[in-house]
Order: sequence, then C-alpha cells, then structure tokens
Amino acid sequence: MATIVKADNLEKVYRIGKVDVPALRGVSLAVQEGEFVAVMGPSGCGKSTMLHLLGGLLTPTKGRILVDGENLTAVSDAKRTDIRRRKIGFVFQRFNLFPTLTAEGNLRLAERIHGNGADDPDRRHEILRMLHLEDKMHHKPLELSGGEQQRVALARAVVNRPAIVLADEPTGNLDSENSELVLKMFRELNDRFNQTIIMITHNPEAAAACQRIIQMRDGHIV
Amino acid sequence: MDSLVVSNIRQRPLRSAISILGVALGVALVMLFTGLARGMSDDLQKRSSNVSAEIIFTRPGSTQIIASSANVSTKYVPLLQAIDGVESVTPVIRYVYPSGSFGFDQVEGVEWDSFSKMNNIRLIQGHAPSPDEVVIDETKASRNHPVGSTLKVFGDRVYRVAGIYAPESGARVKMTLASLQDELQAPNKCTLIYVKVKNPSEQLLVAKRINEALPGNKIQPTRELFATIESSIPGLTIFLRMLVGLAAIVSALVIMLAMHTTITERTREIGILKAMGASRLYIIGEIEREALLISFLGLLVGFALAGIAGFGIHKATGLIFEFGARWGLTAAAIGLLGGALGAFYPAARAANLDPVNALAYE
Ligand SMILES: Nc1ncnc2c1ncn2[C@@H]1O[C@H](COP(=O)(O)OP(=O)(O)O)[C@@H](O)[C@H]1O
Ligand SMILES: [Mg+2]
Repeated sequence: MATIVKADNLEKVYRIGKVDVPALRGVSLAVQEGEFVAVMGPSGCGKSTMLHLLGGLLTPTKGRILVDGENLTAVSDAKRTDIRRRKIGFVFQRFNLFPTLTAEGNLRLAERIHGNGADDPDRRHEILRMLHLEDKMHHKPLELSGGEQQRVALARAVVNRPAIVLADEPTGNLDSENSELVLKMFRELNDRFNQTIIMITHNPEAAAACQRIIQMRDGHIV
Repeated sequence: MDSLVVSNIRQRPLRSAISILGVALGVALVMLFTGLARGMSDDLQKRSSNVSAEIIFTRPGSTQIIASSANVSTKYVPLLQAIDGVESVTPVIRYVYPSGSFGFDQVEGVEWDSFSKMNNIRLIQGHAPSPDEVVIDETKASRNHPVGSTLKVFGDRVYRVAGIYAPESGARVKMTLASLQDELQAPNKCTLIYVKVKNPSEQLLVAKRINEALPGNKIQPTRELFATIESSIPGLTIFLRMLVGLAAIVSALVIMLAMHTTITERTREIGILKAMGASRLYIIGEIEREALLISFLGLLVGFALAGIAGFGIHKATGLIFEFGARWGLTAAAIGLLGGALGAFYPAARAANLDPVNALAYE
C-alpha cells in the first residue's frame, strides 16, 4: 500500500501578541492509502492543529507535509487551496453547513467549488442514499437533527470523492445513537471508495472501529 | 434556487432592500435630472423653431434666451421694414420673471397681427388679445386655463384668457406689446425684432444690408440661436456629470457597507468555503455576484422610480422629462460599476481571511 499522507517533524508555534504558544513539537506520521486512522489525546494537545496542517489550512513553523505526492509546505497558498479542493474533504464537530442552503444545495456548492463538471446528480444521489438522506434533500440544516446535519456535512465532504477525509471530532456533538450511525457511514465510505480517513475523536468506541489509533500528548505523538 | 448569492440576499430582506434602494436612488436622480434637462431644452427648442423669421435684431450684449430687458427702440421697426429684401418685421418683448417655487416663467408682448402673420400662428379658439387679456398655447390651456378663465402673470396681475393659439412658439403666454410696455414702464421699447426676408437664401445679404443701414446693433440668424440653446444654459453639462459622479459614489458606498456587514456576519461561512477548497477568486466572485445582483435590482427599481416620479412631477408642475437611452445606459453602468467597486474591498478582505480563524469565528 502507498503512503498518501506523510508528515516529517512538524512543529507549529502560534504567536499571540508577544507570547509563543507551541502546539506541535515535532510530529512525524505516515498514513497509507485507504487507512482509517483515529487520533486521540487530551484537549489542547495539538490534534486540531495537526489536522489543519495536513489539510493545508495552516502552514507549519517547521517540517514537511506530503499529500498524495504533493509537497504542501513547498507551494503557494493558492496551490495549497487547489490541492485541498481536489484531494481533501473536511468534516467538523460543528457541522458547518450553510444554513441558507438546503442539504442538496450544500452538496451542489461543494460540486461547484470542485468544478470540472462535478455537477453529477447520479453521484450526488448515490451518496445521499448511502447516508440515508434521500428524503432530506430539500431540508435546510435547521430543519434537520444533529445526526442528520452531520451526515449532510459528511456527504458534502465526500461528494467529490476526495482521496482523503479529515474529520475533527465529527461525533463530538452527537448522542450515542447518532454517533454510531455517523461512524458506520465513515466505515462504509472507507470500505466502498477506499477513502483514507483521519478522524480526531474522544470516544474510545469510535476509535476502536478504526484500523489504527494515534495517541497525542503535549504536541507529540506518543 | 441553490445559489448562495440569492439565498444570502433573501436571508436579510431588510438590508437587501435598503441596499437596493440606495442604488435605486442614485440611478433615479441621474435619470430625473438628465431627463429634465433634456425635456426642457427640447421643449424650448421646439417652441423656438416655430419662429419663421430668419433674422433677430437686438441691441449688443443682450441674450435672447433669458432676456428680460426691453432695450430696443421700436423706431427700428419701420426702418427695418424699409430695407431691401425684408418681407415683414415684428417687435417682441420677452419678459422672464421669477415664479412660484420652480424658478422662472416667461411672457411675451407681441403685435398680434404682424406676429401671427409672420409666423403662421393662428387662433384655434377665442380672439386676439386686447389690453388686460392674454392668449396662450395648447399646453398651457390644457393645464386648466380655458378661454374666458383668468390667469396670473408677474405673480399677481390678473389677465383674462382671450384665446388659444397654435402651433406653440416662444413663451406660452402672450399679451399685446402695448400692455407689456406699460407693465414694464418701457414705452416704445421691445426686447427684439423678428425680421423675415423675402427670399431665405438671401438672408445673409439682407443681414449685411441691415448692418450697413443700422450700424451698432446685433443681427443674429435665428438658426444659430436654436443651435445654442442647450449650451446657453451655462454649466449644465458639468452639473449633470457631477451628479452622475455623485450617484456612482453613493452606489459604491451603499454596496460597500452592505457587503462589509455581510462579510463580517459570514466570516465563518467564508472559512467553510476555504476549507472546501474555494480559491480567492471564487470567493471574490461570489461576493461580487451578490453585489452585482443587488445593483441590478437597484437599477430596475431606480428606472421605475424615475419613471413614476417624472410622471408625477410632470402632472403636478408641467415640467417635461425626456429620458434618453444614452443617459439610461450611463446610469446603468454607474450603478453596476459602483456596486462592483464598492464590493471589491470587502470581497478582497474576505478572500484573504485566515481559514482557521474564520472557522473559529462566532
Ligand atoms: N489559533 C490559535 N492561536 C493561538 N493558540 C492556538 C490556536 N489554536 C490552538 N492554539 C493552542 O494550541 C494548542 C493546541 O490546540 P489544538 O490543536 O486546538 O488542540 P486539540 O485540538 O488537541 O484540543 C492549545 O494550547 C491551543 O490553546
Ligand atoms: Mg481540537
């Protein structure tokens, strides 16, 4: 299996005024294509920072990141955005759907941003069917339960079939029943489309469903 | 519709409506002012062109359009009549006086017989004016002034409407030369003398003869006068240009404010767009499209407002509006350009937001 995400010696220091806050202190990591990885660790240990770095939303203070053969740390901001557009889907704890758009509207927006004729109703409906959202297509986020919103967010993240899905505590705002459902969806996406998934979670049961668990503490992988 | 642009505009109906109205006001102002300028000058031109005299005889230094001085002696009338090639001659006093809240009004004093004969003007109702009477044109008559009614001239003097004449020519209200001379305490004076020549192709020759016979006066071809009506209102073009500039600035500011608040409010959504891989250009494009849609709606509302206001003002005051396609296009360009420019700074700021901070924004 090929390595699809590789991080070497990542360091990230946030600067607040004159104070330096080190969030990552040398993190190295390799994730294989099609792997489903859980990231665990106490709050503030740098999990989100690492995920943002891997997705190109942030740049590291030091170190190197390779995503599907492209060096995120050596390219311009515009190029990083472009790599993210083509290869990465993000899922957040807070769902982050566009409240004025319907479920389908949120998906179509993702397709429009992706471009290249990504507007494919068949594929869109396949994803919606997989996530049991067919009858929710025309609902706006506020008309949906938390679990349904997170499934829409997941659908939006994967509708363009990105190679990598990065999820930051996707079940953090869900009750156990909905958490279960969303996790099942992640596994199914991983099985069906061989998507690589890196998921931050506090839930040991969720982590247990993954192929590998990465533990972090104080800006290190332990 | 699944469009973020449309749904954003619908999300905040009041703000969108205010922005649209802001653009609309700018556009409507441009249309109304330019429409009024055109309407009035066209109207003036139309009435002037019903003068068939080829030559206008005045004293040097007088300007016919807004003249209100009676400084030409009527003793010139028989002298002009005697010049070779002159067919007919008629003296006119044109008097402009302040009226109401809307600027100015005009009245002319004419010798009805020679004036109407020279210019082919006929009475379609009533009879020629005697002292204390006026004749008016059809436009004036249609504004509630039938024959036999009374009309105030110079603010408070009451005259009886003796008749209605056509076609329209010069001032809408005409009285006898003698009564206007009395009123102005200018016996044997007039403002200008119209000279009609026997053979129009000889008008230059006749003008030369007049100049030789009666040196020191101003002899102008009527044609030349028509051509200069628009340019004789000093600074009008500059005023209109300034107005258009102001409208552009207003549109730009309104849109800028609307987009600025929209973007502050949607900081997190911009973060989401970035996380989804939207480029700077895409984000700027979305915001610009929203601004352009608002501006476009503003344009439509502005044109409608101008049309309605123009009609209402015309009904109420008789001012004439003529909306030209060229100024319409200018107003449209101004509204759209103003909107696009106004949105650009907020859009560029949004595009440069840090995605992680934007996502953490409450
Ligand atoms: N934008 C930021 N500015 C300053 N400090 C930050 C920022 N984001 C995170 N941090 C700090 O970096 C550390 C790691 O944060 P984070 O990556 O969010 O941890 P986790 O996701 O594991 O809770 C924490 O000390 C946090 O306070
Ligand atoms: Mg976190």
